[in-house]
Amino acid sequence: MNWKRKYQPWKHTIPAFILIGAIIIFPIVYTLYISFTNMNLYHWDNYGFVGFRNYIRALFKVDSGFIEAIGTTFLWTFLNMVLQIVIAFFIALGLNAPKLKLARVYKTLLMFPWAMPAYVSILLWKVGIYNTDFGLANKLLSWFGISKIDYLSKNVPAFLSCMVLNLWMALPFMIMMFDGALQSIDQSYYESAKMDGAGFWVKTLKITVPSVKNIMMPAVLMTTFTTFKQFDIIYLLTQQKGALTGATLQTIITYVHQKAFVSNNYGLSSAVSIVVFVLIILISLFLNKGLKEEAL
Amino acid sequence: MKRVISSILCGIMVTGLLAGCGNSAGTTKSTQTGSQKESSTKSESASATESKAGTTTSGKMQTVTIWHDGDESIMNTIETQVNTDLKAKNVEVKFEKKSGLTDQLKLYGNDEANGPDMYFYAHDSLGSFAEMNILAPVTDFISTKDETDMIPMTTEACTYKEKQYMLPVYYETLLFVYNKDLWQGDIPASTDDLLSYMKAHTDEKAGTYALVNQHSTAYNVAPVINGFGGYIIDKNANPGLNTKETKEAITYNQKFAALEGAGDYDTCNTLFNGKKAQAIIGGPWLMSGIKQAGINYGIKSLADFKLPNGNALKPYSGVQGVGVLKYAEKSKKEAITEVLKDLCNEKVGIALAKESNCAPANQKAYSNADVSSNEMIMAMKETTKSAVPMPNIPQTSVMWTPAEALLAAVNKSGEDVNKAADDYQKQAKQAIADMQ
Amino acid sequence: MSKKKIKNKIQQFFLNLFFIFICFVALLPILYALILSFQSGTAALSTKMSFFSGTLTLDNYKNIIFHHPLFRWLFNSLELSVGTMIVAISCSVTSAYAFSRYRFKGRIQTLRLLLILNAFPQILTMFALFRLFKTLHLLDSKPGLVLIYAGSMCIFSILNLKGYFDTIPIEIEEASKIDGASETQLMLKIILPLAKPSIIVTAVMVLIFVWNEYLFATTFLLKDTSYTLAGGLYQLQASDYSRSWPLFTAAAILISIPILIVFFIIQKHMVSGLTSGGVKG
Repeated sequence: MNWKRKYQPWKHTIPAFILIGAIIIFPIVYTLYISFTNMNLYHWDNYGFVGFRNYIRALFKVDSGFIEAIGTTFLWTFLNMVLQIVIAFFIALGLNAPKLKLARVYKTLLMFPWAMPAYVSILLWKVGIYNTDFGLANKLLSWFGISKIDYLSKNVPAFLSCMVLNLWMALPFMIMMFDGALQSIDQSYYESAKMDGAGFWVKTLKITVPSVKNIMMPAVLMTTFTTFKQFDIIYLLTQQKGALTGATLQTIITYVHQKAFVSNNYGLSSAVSIVVFVLIILISLFLNKGLKEEAL
Repeated sequence: MKRVISSILCGIMVTGLLAGCGNSAGTTKSTQTGSQKESSTKSESASATESKAGTTTSGKMQTVTIWHDGDESIMNTIETQVNTDLKAKNVEVKFEKKSGLTDQLKLYGNDEANGPDMYFYAHDSLGSFAEMNILAPVTDFISTKDETDMIPMTTEACTYKEKQYMLPVYYETLLFVYNKDLWQGDIPASTDDLLSYMKAHTDEKAGTYALVNQHSTAYNVAPVINGFGGYIIDKNANPGLNTKETKEAITYNQKFAALEGAGDYDTCNTLFNGKKAQAIIGGPWLMSGIKQAGINYGIKSLADFKLPNGNALKPYSGVQGVGVLKYAEKSKKEAITEVLKDLCNEKVGIALAKESNCAPANQKAYSNADVSSNEMIMAMKETTKSAVPMPNIPQTSVMWTPAEALLAAVNKSGEDVNKAADDYQKQAKQAIADMQ
Repeated sequence: MSKKKIKNKIQQFFLNLFFIFICFVALLPILYALILSFQSGTAALSTKMSFFSGTLTLDNYKNIIFHHPLFRWLFNSLELSVGTMIVAISCSVTSAYAFSRYRFKGRIQTLRLLLILNAFPQILTMFALFRLFKTLHLLDSKPGLVLIYAGSMCIFSILNLKGYFDTIPIEIEEASKIDGASETQLMLKIILPLAKPSIIVTAVMVLIFVWNEYLFATTFLLKDTSYTLAGGLYQLQASDYSRSWPLFTAAAILISIPILIVFFIIQKHMVSGLTSGGVKG
């Protein structure tokens, strides 16, 4: 009886764990394995163990550029997450206002940026919108008589441009999550609050926010990691081969890509990836101390 | 619970190690027992077009699969021509488009069951594939006699470490394309004269330009760098970003960059096709857009422009050709030999020239009237006088980023050439060292 | 009373105005893409101030629909999406339920571990999975790709569903247990209907992921008859130099439309079971 109680929950989780084991954990383990070999262009099939040599080389890559990239990455993640949460929350609140008849239409329209393949969106923004001479953004500005702006050639405008694009692509998801979360709140709470004479802000802060916090936590955490790992936007906007824009913006992952992955030295790249991964784990453990157990 | 977790993790690790080890053992096995494994998988696989037939003596149609990442119409032209020629010999080729071809070959390059027999691509990735040991030299199939008609530069581009791994089919270089209606007077014969013309005819505020060019792309600045005697990377894998000649070239190019607009591909095209730029430096890929915009265009070879030091501009040339995967050598030697021999003769080149404005690698093709009357092709042939094949050594792949970052730093961010060149040279050296 | 009604109407009006404005701003790039898709030529930009030259044409759409195997791509995408949704959701629902309802040793650590696993940079995953699948002979197989997709989305699905399960009061289940319901009945008749909004949201997330994924699709599936919509789109334009922007945007819009239709339809089902009369008090 006791045995059954102990193992029952695990019985439920086995199918998922097998999947996760094969698709998520195995690559990590395999990468770990390769990091101890010298697999590269010159030893494509006939690679052998080289011990910790790749790790020593990887640690040398943690130079000033890497530190700067860490700072940029944190700033990037923090700003994006704060803006996403606040903006999405209020838009979702608005969408859930009673008697908004066209809510369904609005919700669907707002999902379009997310439905569009990311690859297309990024290229479209790069060529069609941020292009200095003919892009949509500058065309609109000239309509209003404002002079053209160079969006991607210096680091600060490039950072902001990437951020705008990231928000555009990521907000639909957050809005949808908040929307679902808001719908799970028991309306009777609001009714009793209204009867007690509570205004909009009180209702929002004291009822809505606490209620959605727990449902939203997984989505927020996942989005934080995704934002942290975001590679495509920054790479395709500013660093694509043959189309360097002049900005030297780097996040951890673009930096690592440029320094290690381009070399086709899989042994070294694997070691660098493991180092970055360990770094991320340490950082999240550190931050986790602030999160209560119930949050998960 | 912890014990359960750790035992599961151990199990996964062991499986992973076995899969990893098993795989490398597996690949060596498959290359050794190539034909045997093949015939057993053949009976299992259903798709006829993918099946790898046994020997040519069977009388059945043998299909050679070629992966490519280029223009579909060009590949169709080649496919039709070769299949017509080889029908009697029961050999046919099948082109399959694979985006991101270099990455795909890295995965499938030694996978006999799933990979292609040959691949069609630019020559600069040749060195990487050769080092990965996935290619068989084309000289295993054909002799140098079969290739006597090839332009020497093209076969040189396809040779790495003394072995020729690719058979050239056509090549391309940058050209000077100008709008006959807008350009005033003759095209200057020297770059200094060109610069003066640009100074006189460029009005950035009004958005009109004399010449637009991707001034911060290594490929487009190479004509100047090579012409000055500098180099991005030499045969022995030494980067040359901070040599005196390269720095001179970059400084010289900077004067042009200041008058060439933003310099990205789409802006350049839009300006030229929108008749706001009188000339553009680009390649054959621009043609369809230019024709569609109805521009009355003229073409000049870059080799016709002389730099201040007396040398002509020396653009890179990209040679497109076909390479053979090592494992295909055992199973399809005769079929592949037929395909390669057919590609050596001028028929394919002429067809490509007629259909797609490609410059054939086979010199005989140029005696054909259709080819010799094509302005663009003849301009590219003219350019072979001074053109330099892109380096095909593996280290080239890591050179583009530092080289272009250097150009962007100088042209777009206004940094000092000497300091930037030293910085990026260091980066380039590090990137090359990382490859080992 | 009527003062309040007027106040409400004004609020409604401004709210609607606000949303129309937001939708317009958010959709501006999409509108740009839409207009671009009706242009002739290949460029993305034009020197003129107005939005492009006057000639509008349906050629691009015709090109995609008739000169490319669009419907085969669609079918493949559907196959993969539905397959992944089924596998991912069924694996995640049971796991999420376990994590939510049972308090067992290692629960929190495992959840934390799952979250952290997501932080691994994906670039090397393809290589490792390729080697694994090659050994297992799962290359060029749709079921293999479904497994990859499902595995990638599993962690998110579990965490998402668990979060939602946590909000379902346990009293409902205990009430049914007292009534003598077995575990399967509990699952099917009580939990799943109540969790419908979250399951739908998670399923849509999986759908979008699979729908727009092209990297794995074009690497692991070899025949061009097995291309998905995203894979076909990627092939259409892979290089800067040969890209035809109008064709590209036309294809992108065609691909996005099914997703929007799905979104519109599921709005109806997203209303939570709890607020429509589950358990009070």
